[in-house]
Amino acid sequence: MGMDRDRPIERFLPLRPVEFDVLLSLAAGERHGYGIIQDAEARGVTAVPDVGTLYRALRRMQDQGLIGASARREAPEAGEERRHYYRITALGLQVARAEARRLAALMRAAAASGLIEGVAT
Amino acid sequence: MPGRRDTPADDAGERRLVRASDRWLRLLLRLYPADFRDEMGDALLETYRDRCRAALRDGGVGALAGVWLRSLADSTRNGLAERMRPAVGWRRSGNWGRDTERAVRRLARAPLFTFSMLATLTVGLGAFAMVATVVQKVLLAPLPYERPDDLYMVWRDYGKVFDLKRGNLAGTDLVALAAAGGAIEGAAALDLAQHTMTAAGSGSDETAPEQIGVLYTTPNLFRMLGVRPALGRTFAPGEVGKGRPALVVLGHELWQRRFGGRRDVLGTDVVLDGQPHRVIGVMGDGFRLDGQLAADAYATHPVNLAETEPGAGSYNVMLRARPGTPPTLVASAVGAVGRMVDERDFEGKGISLYPVGVKADLLAAVRAPLLVLGAAGVLLVLVLGVNMATLLLVRAAQREREFAISRALGANRVALVRATLLEAALLGTAVATLAALAGVWGTRALVALAPLDLPRRATVAVDWRLAALAAAAGALLGALAGAPPAGGSTRAQLATLLRNAAVRGGGGGFGPLRRAMVVAQVALSLVLLSAGGLVVRSFDRLLRVDPGFSPAGVLTFGVPVPGARYPSDTLVLAVHERLHRELAAIPGVTAVGAASALPLAGDPSQTTVRFPSAPGNTGDEERDRPLVDFMPTRAGYFEALGIRVLAGRAFAPTPTRGVREAVIDRTLARQFFPTGGAVGATFRLLGDTLLVVGVVEHARLRDVHQDGRPQVYLRDENYTDYGLSFAVRTDRAPTGLVPEVRAAVARVDPQLAVANVRSMDEIVSAAVQQPRLSAVLLSGFSLGALLLAAMGLYGVIAGSVSRRRHEIAVRLALGSDHGRVLRLVLGEGARLVALGVLVGAPGIYLASRVVDGVLVGVSPFDPLTLGAVTLGLAAVAAVACYLPARRVAAIEPAQSLLEN
Repeated sequence: MGMDRDRPIERFLPLRPVEFDVLLSLAAGERHGYGIIQDAEARGVTAVPDVGTLYRALRRMQDQGLIGASARREAPEAGEERRHYYRITALGLQVARAEARRLAALMRAAAASGLIEGVAT
Repeated sequence: MPGRRDTPADDAGERRLVRASDRWLRLLLRLYPADFRDEMGDALLETYRDRCRAALRDGGVGALAGVWLRSLADSTRNGLAERMRPAVGWRRSGNWGRDTERAVRRLARAPLFTFSMLATLTVGLGAFAMVATVVQKVLLAPLPYERPDDLYMVWRDYGKVFDLKRGNLAGTDLVALAAAGGAIEGAAALDLAQHTMTAAGSGSDETAPEQIGVLYTTPNLFRMLGVRPALGRTFAPGEVGKGRPALVVLGHELWQRRFGGRRDVLGTDVVLDGQPHRVIGVMGDGFRLDGQLAADAYATHPVNLAETEPGAGSYNVMLRARPGTPPTLVASAVGAVGRMVDERDFEGKGISLYPVGVKADLLAAVRAPLLVLGAAGVLLVLVLGVNMATLLLVRAAQREREFAISRALGANRVALVRATLLEAALLGTAVATLAALAGVWGTRALVALAPLDLPRRATVAVDWRLAALAAAAGALLGALAGAPPAGGSTRAQLATLLRNAAVRGGGGGFGPLRRAMVVAQVALSLVLLSAGGLVVRSFDRLLRVDPGFSPAGVLTFGVPVPGARYPSDTLVLAVHERLHRELAAIPGVTAVGAASALPLAGDPSQTTVRFPSAPGNTGDEERDRPLVDFMPTRAGYFEALGIRVLAGRAFAPTPTRGVREAVIDRTLARQFFPTGGAVGATFRLLGDTLLVVGVVEHARLRDVHQDGRPQVYLRDENYTDYGLSFAVRTDRAPTGLVPEVRAAVARVDPQLAVANVRSMDEIVSAAVQQPRLSAVLLSGFSLGALLLAAMGLYGVIAGSVSRRRHEIAVRLALGSDHGRVLRLVLGEGARLVALGVLVGAPGIYLASRVVDGVLVGVSPFDPLTLGAVTLGLAAVAAVACYLPARRVAAIEPAQSLLEN
């Protein structure tokens, strides 16, 4: 049961904002939860997800095989305290790319309709 | 970005605040479901901790408070959302078609479980609905009259004068009761008569003559019952007696059947026995009188009872007491009237009147069998309940393992829960549907099987509330059956379960509980079996009794001869002669006879007889003047019904001139002529002197299993004023004769109705219908219970064998032989059965007490039956134990020990 990897990528799209945030962060490297939130804050584009929202998404995405849990280890900025780290899977990367393409296509369409300035492809 | 720590004091303060935050956040974490907390709680806490630190550094305590508040909102929202996720996730990510297919496949993969579950619940709930319906509608539901508890029937008890406890009342008795006042608010006299209805309604086949039951009543009946007509009016107080126009109120069923429910029937005439009656009203669908008073139409007495001779007439009397009068007061009021009547009409011989509640009176005959049925139904439902619990336990143990393995292989939690719930819903829906259908159809079948005279038969049907209840219970139990592990499944720990599974083998867990359940099943089925055994044996006795006549090959029917059309005895006799001749001429008819009352079907008249000079007289006035059933008959009657002539002769085709001939039965002959010699004696009856020309076997008129009153057969030629039922013996199939019989009667007079056409076999069968039903139901219930107990036993022993495989292997390896081990396993089963029998024994005693009321010719503690039942149970149990126990023979010690 739950053999979600059989599903085509499109099945995951569109991603929720929090899911895309997670994949964006993890695509750059492994992160712990607060790290993902900080990335989202730094990006400053979408609303920063609440912690509960984030972790529900993390669990769901783990179940779907988009991300995986890494070994627990110390965080450089927090002394000897250890953190749960997450990493993106191959499937997660594919899905993130597909979502980015989908958004880019939307952007082009928006530009073509004159809603925004042209976007580089 | 986080700021830098400045001083140690700040550092300590920060730590304290972070610890406080931790406690707060742990508290908030409880808003999430347990499985989420287990998996993500730590990580979530870490992140919140980071957040709090950052807030503290950037904005101080105020910012921290902001984070706390925000975390409350966050956790509430997400915690709740996470708790709802199975439902939401089901809708969002579920694939209905695939999941359903999968659930069906899972159920199909466990066919035994699915089938047992469906069968157990269907049968259980169906039986429950059936029994509950019958008991409710027949025994419990109030009669459809106003204040039914204040209604009574009044009967005459002839005390020592003769053996008649439920005698009818005379017209003047009714008048006395109605005038008594006090506790008695009103009384109605009722008299059911059969009439031939002709020229009623319109249309081609509505004009065929038909016999209908007309209930003659005092005009107050409907007001007394508190019922209103659906159409028109009922009788006004003065509309009774001679010189009044003949009026009739139609029953709903007759109105629908013969008049197509037309409203313009009011004011038209229907012809009853040649007399036009004006239709003044139609009763509603719900109105009916039951039992012996069930009628198609209602009319008032042709005489005003107050003007009749004291003691004349024969009526059923119904009485209404003032609201809330206790039954004892009603009894004493009726008793006082009875004493007055006794003094006035019977010279104070101690003939009394007594009331019986209308419902109790109606149900007297069926109360015992229905209570037996109800008790058996309850027991069956108990057995099924235990069986279901057992199935659930086994299933739960299996499922727990499956879930643990699925989870370990990476199955999605939501998917697992969804699959389980779907399975539960499927099973629940199936059971709900089946249970409701079983209840409805089962009850219909039961009513179809039930004796025609089952009181309130027409009202017995599963109502929607009960069907809904059965369906709801079915859905719930079915869902429970499918879902036991759904709750625990998401947290199942593989390691523990696999450890248990290895020990447990295939037999399922919950050993002690399952054993207790098997003991309960054995005990319950023993109780049911003994009750069933007794009832079946009693029924068997009933089928073997000789009722005094031979029913095979006899067709019976009534041919009422309306007095208006045939106003004199000579005319009636002439039509009887012609009917007799026409019927005898039908090819294949070997004998034709007729009597005013047929065996097991009639309601013979009663009177007293005297044999003035017979040797059997004792000098005791009451004893020497016994009450007898008497029936005018036509020659050929004894031959047609196969009633043996024991002495003298039957009636000759032509009567002897100047002599009133009679044939008496064995019991009357024995009373007055203990040493024989009854033939040729004379006796007095209805003021006449009659000559005994023959003695015949006692042909039972009321009960199949016991003799009734002594009987006297008279000649139709001398006593013409009694309607006749014909009995035709044929060497063909009796029912195949019906068209020719109708044609023959129509040749005599097309206005004559042929009523109540039945073969004598049908009459006998109807007479034993109620005991047959009890026997069929009880044996079905008890065999079902036995089967379930056997299945339970099989399961326990099978489980035990596979669980003890290792132990058995060790025993074998240490030199025990297979036979000994087999005995060991069988001994376990034997202990359970013995325990069950011990527990069930007091139940047998109780069951015997309950079934006592329906037994005929069998003691409720019949040792033969009870012994056979116990042995039978033991034999079935032995087989149920032996089959799985045989598997120990296949255990090879070396191999089994290696496996471990």
